[in-house]
Amino acid sequence: MRKMQIYHELLMQDIRFIEGLKACMNCGVCTAICPAAEFYDYDPRKIVDLVQSEDNDEIEKLLKSETIWYCGECMSCKTRCPRGNTPAFVVMALRTLSQKLGFFTESEKGRQQFAIKRSVGENIFKYGYCVASYAVSPENHPEQGPIWEYILENSHDVYERLGGQINELGAGPLRKIPEDAKEELKKIFDVTGGTDFFKNIEDHSKRKAEEMGLQFDDEGIDNEYFIEVFTANNKKHTH
Amino acid sequence: MKKEGKKKIWSEYQKEIADDHFFYVRSCIRQSFFPGSEQFFLNFMRNVLGKDVYENPSHTTCTGIGYHSDIVPFATLMTVVARHFALMKESGYKNIAISCVTSFGIYTEIIETWKHFPEELEKTREYLYKATGREFDIPENMAHTSDIIYKFRNEIAALAKNLLINKKTGEPLNIVEHIGCHYSKMFPKHGVGGAEFPNVLGGMIEAWGGKVVDYPERRHCCGFGFRQYLVQANRGYSLSNTAKKFSSMKPFKADLVLTNCPGCTMFMDKWQYTIKEMEGIVYGEEGESIPVLTYEELAGLVMGYNPWDLGVQYHMVQSEPLLRKLGIAYDPDNKFKTKDGRQMPVPENLINV
Amino acid sequence: MFSMDGQIVIVGGGAAGMESAGQLARSGYHVTLIEKETITGGHVRNWYHLFPDRRDSREVIKYFDDLINHKNITLLTGLKVEGIDKHGMSFIVNTNSGTEIKADAVILSTGFDLFKSERKEEYGYGIYDNVITSADLEVMFRKGEIKLHNGVIPGKIGIIHCVGSRDEKVGNLYCSKLCCVTAVKQAMEIKEILENARVFCFYMDIRMGGALYEELYRESQEKYGINYIRGKVSEVSVNIDNKLVIKAEDTLVGRPLKMELDMLVLMAGMEMSESSKSISESAGLATGENRFFSPADHHFGSNKGNVEGVFYAGTCTAPMNITETISHARAVVSDVIGYMNNGDR
Repeated sequence: MRKMQIYHELLMQDIRFIEGLKACMNCGVCTAICPAAEFYDYDPRKIVDLVQSEDNDEIEKLLKSETIWYCGECMSCKTRCPRGNTPAFVVMALRTLSQKLGFFTESEKGRQQFAIKRSVGENIFKYGYCVASYAVSPENHPEQGPIWEYILENSHDVYERLGGQINELGAGPLRKIPEDAKEELKKIFDVTGGTDFFKNIEDHSKRKAEEMGLQFDDEGIDNEYFIEVFTANNKKHTH
Repeated sequence: MKKEGKKKIWSEYQKEIADDHFFYVRSCIRQSFFPGSEQFFLNFMRNVLGKDVYENPSHTTCTGIGYHSDIVPFATLMTVVARHFALMKESGYKNIAISCVTSFGIYTEIIETWKHFPEELEKTREYLYKATGREFDIPENMAHTSDIIYKFRNEIAALAKNLLINKKTGEPLNIVEHIGCHYSKMFPKHGVGGAEFPNVLGGMIEAWGGKVVDYPERRHCCGFGFRQYLVQANRGYSLSNTAKKFSSMKPFKADLVLTNCPGCTMFMDKWQYTIKEMEGIVYGEEGESIPVLTYEELAGLVMGYNPWDLGVQYHMVQSEPLLRKLGIAYDPDNKFKTKDGRQMPVPENLINV
Repeated sequence: MFSMDGQIVIVGGGAAGMESAGQLARSGYHVTLIEKETITGGHVRNWYHLFPDRRDSREVIKYFDDLINHKNITLLTGLKVEGIDKHGMSFIVNTNSGTEIKADAVILSTGFDLFKSERKEEYGYGIYDNVITSADLEVMFRKGEIKLHNGVIPGKIGIIHCVGSRDEKVGNLYCSKLCCVTAVKQAMEIKEILENARVFCFYMDIRMGGALYEELYRESQEKYGINYIRGKVSEVSVNIDNKLVIKAEDTLVGRPLKMELDMLVLMAGMEMSESSKSISESAGLATGENRFFSPADHHFGSNKGNVEGVFYAGTCTAPMNITETISHARAVVSDVIGYMNNGDR
């Protein structure tokens, strides 16, 4: 028999949760200025109120829902809360727990964590940067406009004029991160649980891809599952 | 609008900003999209002010974008940052100059966490030592690079060749200042002027002759939203928030949007293009879009640098309307040339040309 | 240094000070009443009509003025008390003019300060023209007209509850108790002057904890059509037409809202008076987390503190209305008389 998980206890192991929630009096200043609340069917006050009730079933539903993935982590809520809470920290703790428990694959928005891991996550190890120009493809980013494709096509000349030295060792913008630095970064991920966290995202996503009947590669962004989670939008996320 | 009220608030939020011997940490996004900005900063600090600004090639991403899209655990984030502090210690630096606002946000969040939870600091020391054998100290001073330019805004004003005045009308330019959320929303005391009426960019604008524009959505997030942009399916969020800001800003007839955050600069620039393509809407006057610049690009223009050496041509929204208002002479033929003067292809479909 | 015949010194000539002075005088004690302003009356003088029955504050001021018009009361105005020193069983009260006054017992009735609303930065008080406080509005009521900064009559007025109270961000965790009923009263008074105005109260709770308060709230809805929106205002800004724009959540509906208003009235809370600080430091008087004087006992010792012979009356101990202040001041009289007649003291 599976031991019942008390989600509130698990959340209490996350420092951000402890920092983020003392007690909420439902004043609504967070929702009032939340960019996500304006456009999504989302209300940070309701999330905090629900979590502080410690209702295990409701928290499980939340961990599997679309709701916790709407926050943009701008922290505007932290500035205003008269009780000193931070709904965004509560959301971040929920997101981390949802991924640890494998619940994130139950929602369309949650499944996107796989896409982020395969892009930003892999960039960290490959290049030592979260975002690097050579990893931002114009095809996946048409909103960057024609100037971006132009910059990439003429990158050497563009960056040289502006003082960059694209992909070379030594100081300077867009420098190549030396191998030993990248190795230290990898070791840090190994020692602190970052690598395990990444693997967890991969394992659960692979399971979900099988369930959904979508082709899954162990690497890269060209597979069916990646494209699906990167682009799918059921248009049911707004009011 | 009463200025004295704002001044009172600014006097409450005086921030200590170091004035020399900086350990410089770059921004992933700015390096890629606005490299001229970081180069201006270094050139200005080292060669104009004679300051010591050191860049350690072993510095990596802070992983802030990964943290705020919830793939990088907090313990990992703290240890990556601790490694940068270790590099600082090794190179003998106590003041950090941070180029990215997300980085600035996580650095301050981590320092504050270590204050409230000293056991986390100890754990981080253990992790870092185990992973890399390195040890670290907490920096004495943490400044965002916009804080530093703010600190030296009067020095820049003294060297100004082009004040922020409309040459035709003689009036100060209307400039919207957009502060990155993670600059002061988390810890208002870590931002010049606090979170409600931050003055880090406003101070620059006024020192250089311009007029700061307040508008209802001023404090609103640009909409980066980390995962809300990184994943294509979510980009509507990012776009909508920027559109909201521009709609709110439009009646105030801004000549320029000045930002201090890499993501914000990118989005306020690029989304104007996207909205124009999708909806045919523009937010400037007379069918134009509003140029969006970094504070280094603006400082460079004020000091009389060649705009094309600052990289303003590599935004989607071109700056020519602003340059004309400032009375800055620019050479259209020099715009897309290599460092040694060879002609490059000329990109098409840019905004404001 | 000179000593007066009266041996009880009362610091603060507002409601509590005047009431306790009047009652002690009538009991045969000589009292020196010290007030830092040039006139007595404290905050009561600044209100136009008082809740719950909307009576004119000038009637209450007259009551106090008559009360202290007594041969046993020496009134010193324009004199600020900086500290009190205890020497054995007696006190020296030090003032800013250098005058020292001897006392056998001291009543501190130093009152409250209104929360300085510019500290709640996101509401823009002192920055945006048409953001005013409840105190500013009372001045308009006395003039009988409500006008915007440019002289125009407002059509849509917002009232924000809890400004400077229940708020960790400004350092005041407590509730100021009277702002809700003030908001309800002022909403009705606005409608009496501006019949066609629309008034919106933005609240977290409607705290009507006094006699006839809840009835006033109901009347405000039934007779005056005041709109109540359950959501604390998060921020205030100004649009191109100089109209105020507020953001709040209508928590009963569960959606964020944005509203344009002509004028915004902030219900500023009550804080321990700034001028009490030097007094409490000089005598080692205990104050609570809310910075008001700590009572010796919450139930039967609220007029006393941690220093024998020093007594408290009124809002220097906690937010309270005028009725409660007068009761509290009458209660301190019984404590002081007991103390003065106690052979052991």
